[in-house]
Order: sequence, then C-alpha cells, then structure tokens
Amino acid sequence: MKSLRILRGYLFTIVGIAIGVAGLVALGAMSERIVRFIEGGDRFVLGQISVAGRGMGMGTGFTAGGMLPAATIRAIAEVPGVSGVQGQVMLPLDPSTSQFMTLTQELILGVDLSVPSPNRHYRTLPLRAGRFFREGDRRVAVIGASFATSRGLDVGSHLALDDESFEVVGILERMLTAPDRFVMVPIADARAQWVAKDRLLRTVLASGAVPLTAADLNTGAAVGWQDGEDPDQVALRIRERVPGVNVQLPSELSRLLRSSTAFFSALLAGIGVLAFVIGGLSLANTMAAAVFERIRDFGVKRALGATDLQLGREVLAESLAVTLVGGLAGIGLALGLGWGIDATVARAQQLFHFSPRLLGGALGFSILLGAAAAAYATARVISVSPAEAIRRGA
Amino acid sequence: MLRATGLVKSYRSRSGAPIRVLAGVDLTVKGGDLVVVTGPSGSGKSTLLNVLGLLEDDDGGEIWFEDARVSSLGRAAKSRVRGRYVGFLFQSFLLLPSLSALENVLLAARYVGRSGAPARRRAMELLEEVGVADRVDHFPAQLSGGEQQRVAFCRAVLNDPPLLLADEPTGNLDDANGAVILGALRGRARAGAAVVVVSHRPEAATGASALYRLRGGVLETS
Repeated sequence: MKSLRILRGYLFTIVGIAIGVAGLVALGAMSERIVRFIEGGDRFVLGQISVAGRGMGMGTGFTAGGMLPAATIRAIAEVPGVSGVQGQVMLPLDPSTSQFMTLTQELILGVDLSVPSPNRHYRTLPLRAGRFFREGDRRVAVIGASFATSRGLDVGSHLALDDESFEVVGILERMLTAPDRFVMVPIADARAQWVAKDRLLRTVLASGAVPLTAADLNTGAAVGWQDGEDPDQVALRIRERVPGVNVQLPSELSRLLRSSTAFFSALLAGIGVLAFVIGGLSLANTMAAAVFERIRDFGVKRALGATDLQLGREVLAESLAVTLVGGLAGIGLALGLGWGIDATVARAQQLFHFSPRLLGGALGFSILLGAAAAAYATARVISVSPAEAIRRGA
Repeated sequence: MLRATGLVKSYRSRSGAPIRVLAGVDLTVKGGDLVVVTGPSGSGKSTLLNVLGLLEDDDGGEIWFEDARVSSLGRAAKSRVRGRYVGFLFQSFLLLPSLSALENVLLAARYVGRSGAPARRRAMELLEEVGVADRVDHFPAQLSGGEQQRVAFCRAVLNDPPLLLADEPTGNLDDANGAVILGALRGRARAGAAVVVVSHRPEAATGASALYRLRGGVLETS
C-alpha cells in the first residue's frame, strides 16, 4: 500500500520515463524490422548458389539473367560438389511495376516439387496455416503472410493470377523477409503464368523456331553443395564448366545485398543512436529531476539521522521500482502503438518487430540508466549539508 | 549535555565577500535546561541551531555532546549522532508530504534501527499526548498548521533525544497552538532533556533557565 503510494508520488516521473522508453522501443522495433529483412535475405543467399541463364530475363530473384534450359540444369547437377539443382520460375506479380521502385517486390515463385529444396537455410518454409504443395497439385498457391494480410486472403480463398483462379492452400509464417510477399505455385503453373505475361516468349514458342519444352522454362535455379564443400568454390566450378550461365558466388551475393542495403543500415544505425540518445536523455533527465525535486526530503531525512548509505539505498530502490514500472509502461505503450499501426495503417507490411532482445535490452537499459541518473542526482543532493538541502527545497 | 566553544561560521555573499554570522559563540546547556535564544531577523539564530545540531559544519570552534567532541566527526558519524542524540523542530514543520502523520513520526525511528512494534506504540502514545491521535492516517496537506507542528514534535522526540533544538517552533502557529508546542518543549526539559529554542515570541522565554540574545555573531545574556 505504502509502496503504491510512493509510486503514485512519482506518477509524472513514471509517465516521463514511459514516454522515453516507448520512443526508444518503437524506433528500435522499426530498426529491428529492417535488420530482420536484411538478415533474412542474407541468410537465404548464403544457403544456396543462385544460377540463371546468360542474357536478359525477367530480372527477378537473386540472380539476373536469361532462360535456364533443362539441359543446362542437368549439366550443373553433374559438376563435382553439387548436391542438387532445383529449377525455379520467379516472376513479378505485376510486370508493370519496376523492381527498382520496390524494396520487396511481390513475386510469383514456381516451385519444382520433384527436387528437394537445396537451400541449406530454408529446407522448408514455416507454415502459419494450411499445407504446402503435394505432388500433382495444380492451381493452388501458398502465400506469404504480408501478401495474405494485404489481400485479406485466408486458406480456402481464391486468388486470380492472369485470369487463372488459384486456391490458397497454405499461408506462411511471417518471416520478416522476402517470402512474406511471395505467391508460391507449382512450377508448371508458374511456367504458364510466364508464358501468359511475356508476349515475346509467346511469340517465340508459337513460331516453333526454337525447340523448347516446358522443362526449359526456368528463370533460374537454386543449387546446393555437398557437405564439406566450399560453396564459393563450387560456384566457380559451375562457372568454369557450364557455359552460358550467370553464377553468383554466395559470399559475393551476400556482399552485394549488404552494399545495396548499406543506406538502410546506416539510416537504421542513425535512428538507433538517436533513439538511444533521446530516450536515454529523457529518461535520465526525468529521473534526476525527480530526485532533485526531493532535496528538502533528503535534508529532513539526514536531520533525522539517515546516513549517505541509507539514503543511497533508499533512492536506488525507489528509482529501480520507478524505472521498472515506467519501463514496462513504455514497452506496453510501444507494443500497443506498433500493433495498432501494423493492424490499421500498414496492413500489408509489418513495420515493427518487437524482439525479446529489444524489449529486454530497452528495459535493462532504462533501469540501469535510471539508477545511474538517480545515483548521480543523489550524490549531488547529499553533497550539500542537511541545512542547505532544507533551505534549497523550501 | 551540550557544550559549544568559540563557534565561528561565515557565508559568502553574492559578491564573494565573507559574511561572518557566528563570531565565537560559547554556549553550555545541561540536561533539564530550557535555553531561549532571541535576536533580530538575520542575526544568525537558525545558523547557530543548525551548527549545534550538526546540520551544518562550523568554520571554527568545538561542539561537545557529553564527553564526545562531535564537531570533528565524519559525515556518517554525524548522521548517527543526529539520529540518536538530537531532535529537531522547524518553523515550517518539514513533514514529508507523501507520508501519513504516523509514518512521519516513525521516520525518526527508521534511521536509528528502531522500527517495528515498540516504535509504533511509542509514536501512537506521543500522538495521543499532543491530541492528534485521530489524525494518524492523515497526510500533512490534510492537517492544520498546529496539527502538523504537533506531529513534527512527536517525530522530534520519538527517540527520546537528550538534546532538542527548536527553530522558531511557533513562528507559523496561532497563539493557542504556539502555547501547546511551547508547553510540550518545557515538558521535555522537565523530563531531563536539554532544550534550545530560537524564537521571536516573548512568551517563549517563560520558564526558560537561560535567555540569550544573539548580536554581532556572539551570544549575550539577556
């Protein structure tokens, strides 16, 4: 009861701390969100060797290039060190939208179920609802979480892709990276979509000038390597031994991805530092002001026999309680704010990611900083005589 | 009980020039004495009380409690001496606003390790003696000035300090409440405590064992 009363006396301090921590957590959560996106992409490209045909193709996915015929895929599979090759078709959902205008383009990904996923970091993709593809599935789709939210789709809903209706059979867990905006379909359906979207390809196929089969229609391939192999070395081997392909070294691709997101990384670092400084200053200032405000009380307590140590312990206990309550309130405020914005303003995209490390870090940071500010203010307050403290607080 | 010799205390003015407030004060107060110090405003009466009660360091001189020279003690030791040997009564009561009347009184016990049921029982007795037992759960803002000073008096005497220092204890009170507080201080002196009161009120001198006037930084017998 008395503790509650003491906390009530610190109400404005708690509100001040809560606002500071809420700012820190909200900015941190936005930062975490983008970090997750970059990390997810990095993890993906480091888990496979990405290959495309030489030339110009759809320009989607991690490796740009032209068509990758079935014969080339077979040749890649023969290269020493390669454990598996999965042909893929990756198309922009809306070809009229330039990928330069979007960081996370909505993509159609055709998945070849006859080959297990060679990506070491994504053998399977986690499902939130429904199921993944089965052998023989056609006109079905497994969609990313953001895509599902933005379109209001659920398992059993129907999705129109170039006038073809697809039943949504599965929805992925939110991964906070590229697959969140994917529409995955069986590769045969993806090939049909490609032909439907690409007038030039349609013309070439209709002319019969080039002997192409459906199995030749791949925009790229994901290549796996055998245990103990260096993926960069395997990629170099593919480059040497298989003509007519664009091969990306995983480490090179990771570097490319990181350099292309370097601006965002710098921006995030700036936001993080700003959040740290603004939130920290606000918190420390509020806590120190709360202690300075009580200078007269300290004078009275010292007149009654309180030693510096006793006062220090008292203030520390109070400041810990106050910053803990303020910190938790701030985290609650930031969570509410983030979830509210994600649920209303940004339905298609998750803008905030409240990771345990962020929440724990913010709480720990606020408690430590609050205690440090209180300790500093207490040291200042008890450096004056009790009589002076009483005079100043009058 | 209390012996002060050659107490000197100066402050610095805004221009940096020293202002000597106490210029060699000698004072002896025995248990059972009620000493009243008067003097014009700004003459240094409060400073004298603060220095005697170790709330402020002197610039020279010595203060002895019984056989111990306390003016040379360190900060922590001075705090302990204040808690066990000195009770303070201030003009503006100085109750903590977030604590109830009873909690304010018990605050005096907290720092000398006397918390618990006996301290609480004694606090209730004292509050009853001064007529505010029905106000124990009230906060300072809910009490009149007279009630606040009675609570402050209970806080000052909870640990039965042998020395009681009162700085204008009736300055913010009406005559009736002033009389109650002065009566309570006289009662403490009769009970054996050494009591020093700084006051403007002529009636404070009633029953005093010694009356001094602080002028020019030294005490003169009135």
